Amino acid sequence: MRRVLSLYTGFFVQSLKARLAYRADFLSELFASLLATAAGILFVVLLFHRIPDLGGWRREEVLFLYGLSLVPYGIFNIFSINLYEFADRYIIEGRFDRLLLRPMPTLAQLLMERSRLTALQEVAVGLGVALWAGARLGLAWSAVDLLWLGVVAVSGAVILLAVFSILASLSFFFEDRIGVNAPVWNLIQFGRFPLPIFGPWLGAVLSWVIPFGFVTFYPATHFLGRSAFRTLCYATPLVAAAFALLGLAVWTLGVRGYRSTGS
Amino acid sequence: MSTPEPALQVVALTRTFRVFERRRGLVGGLRDLLHRDYRELRAVDAISFRVAAGEMVGLIGPNGAGKSTTIKMLTGILVPTSGEILAGGRVPHRDRIAHVKRIGAVFGQRTQLWWDLAVIESFTLLGKIYGVPAAALADRIDRLDAILDIGALLRTPVRKLSLGQRMRCDLAASLLHAPGLLFLDEPTIGLDIVAKDGVRAFLRDINRQFATTAIITTHDLRDIEELCPRILILDRGRLLYDGPLDRIKAAHAGRTRLMVDLLAAAPLAALQAIGGAAVTWEQVGPVRYRATFDRRVTRPAELARALLNRFAVSDLQIPEPSIESVIRRIYAEGAVPPPEPAGAAPPPEGGRR
Repeated sequence: MRRVLSLYTGFFVQSLKARLAYRADFLSELFASLLATAAGILFVVLLFHRIPDLGGWRREEVLFLYGLSLVPYGIFNIFSINLYEFADRYIIEGRFDRLLLRPMPTLAQLLMERSRLTALQEVAVGLGVALWAGARLGLAWSAVDLLWLGVVAVSGAVILLAVFSILASLSFFFEDRIGVNAPVWNLIQFGRFPLPIFGPWLGAVLSWVIPFGFVTFYPATHFLGRSAFRTLCYATPLVAAAFALLGLAVWTLGVRGYRSTGS
Repeated sequence: MSTPEPALQVVALTRTFRVFERRRGLVGGLRDLLHRDYRELRAVDAISFRVAAGEMVGLIGPNGAGKSTTIKMLTGILVPTSGEILAGGRVPHRDRIAHVKRIGAVFGQRTQLWWDLAVIESFTLLGKIYGVPAAALADRIDRLDAILDIGALLRTPVRKLSLGQRMRCDLAASLLHAPGLLFLDEPTIGLDIVAKDGVRAFLRDINRQFATTAIITTHDLRDIEELCPRILILDRGRLLYDGPLDRIKAAHAGRTRLMVDLLAAAPLAALQAIGGAAVTWEQVGPVRYRATFDRRVTRPAELARALLNRFAVSDLQIPEPSIESVIRRIYAEGAVPPPEPAGAAPPPEGGRR
């Protein structure tokens, strides 16, 4: 177990080093991603200049949700780049064979072979916004709350990783670029706002089909004291575990398909 | 000599692909979106062979013969359509992680190293991936450095290496975990002559020092001549020949060619006087002539000397036959015996019977 852990951290640290080899690129990427994060937050702030509340949700509550959502999203983004580019880099350009030649699970290699440390800015900025909004809402942080924050961060990241692993697996079967990443990625945005404002139909999709509601909204109701979502809120780790298993199963199936079709 | 467990055993290995036939033009492209036509392609067709531990075997054949598909099945990257592979008692695709732990693979056209990392960092990471203890890894790198001379490259990022340097590092990388079985797909492709010689010398060395079994695919006959006492010839997915290289060469000796360019044209009859009836002369250009002869009857050196003595020669060459032409001849003339039945391949030098 310790050997496996040292292998995985070693693998990951090397990929970070490789990334840092291009300093200018790293800095410009950091700058661009900070800008994108700031724009998202600014959007929420400006929205509330026009309207007093959003379907019964106050500005601070929405900002709290938005900030909190950046924590699992940032963790996910450390690993996400290879999932987004999987079809091009690994299937079409043929790098996947190399992963099969190494005695390590392929998905683990894929996630750790290339990483973006700049995504940590999302975690930091998100935490800052959530803490600020939380203070305005008068939230007190107990030990249980902090623990739950950790659970939310990990579960959310796992759900995002699972969903995008499943999407990446599709290219095993089609051996082609699949244009589903962008539309699904856009749905992440919806999970950052109170789900009820989107109505029952979209709410159901975001809860049970592509469970981005569990990345932030449902588990965040723990902090906001909205007991209407109590059951779904505490089901978050279970949903994450279920999707992790589903993601692994689909990936395994995809690898099997690749190995019997690839050329 | 007792019968050792073969390093690799392949029985009736077959692999078919469904190939998507693209229609032509824009309209065809749009129709492809709606309905695709597939054709079944038998890339590897019921091939069987056995490789003993410590053997070096060349896998040759023209493009599209099925070499890469075969290697991919042997390394566990591809699942066979039918047939069996047993490597060290394991079925590669079924037991991938255990299998790849004890094989090494080099694909000449593609590096296994991380582009942006220094070579030594790639090596350290590979050591971790394969579970090689740090001390053993350092020792291994030292020994590989002694034959490959890579010490000076260790701190360089892979992307800054020349092709030859990269190939040496890739070879070293594939051997860090002391694999018993090595797959080399075009290990000398794109290298200059000096680098090619270096790689060949290295492969002979590791085969001698570590008794590594190796399967090598190549387009370069010299690789085969210098490395592989035994060759497998594939063509259109089928195993055409399994046996010593010498037998192929003997079959080929009967059609050795010599090309000569004279300073001024000479009558064909004057050339035909050289070498007598055993040599056939043709004029193939204004001042270029071609002799075809049996190397076992007429020595190329004697022929060359006679030419130089009697004519003003501007250029003279004895081209190496390409693998393609060898295979074409095997097909056309049945120049070598067909492969023996499955599992009864002729043993390598000093082999078992």
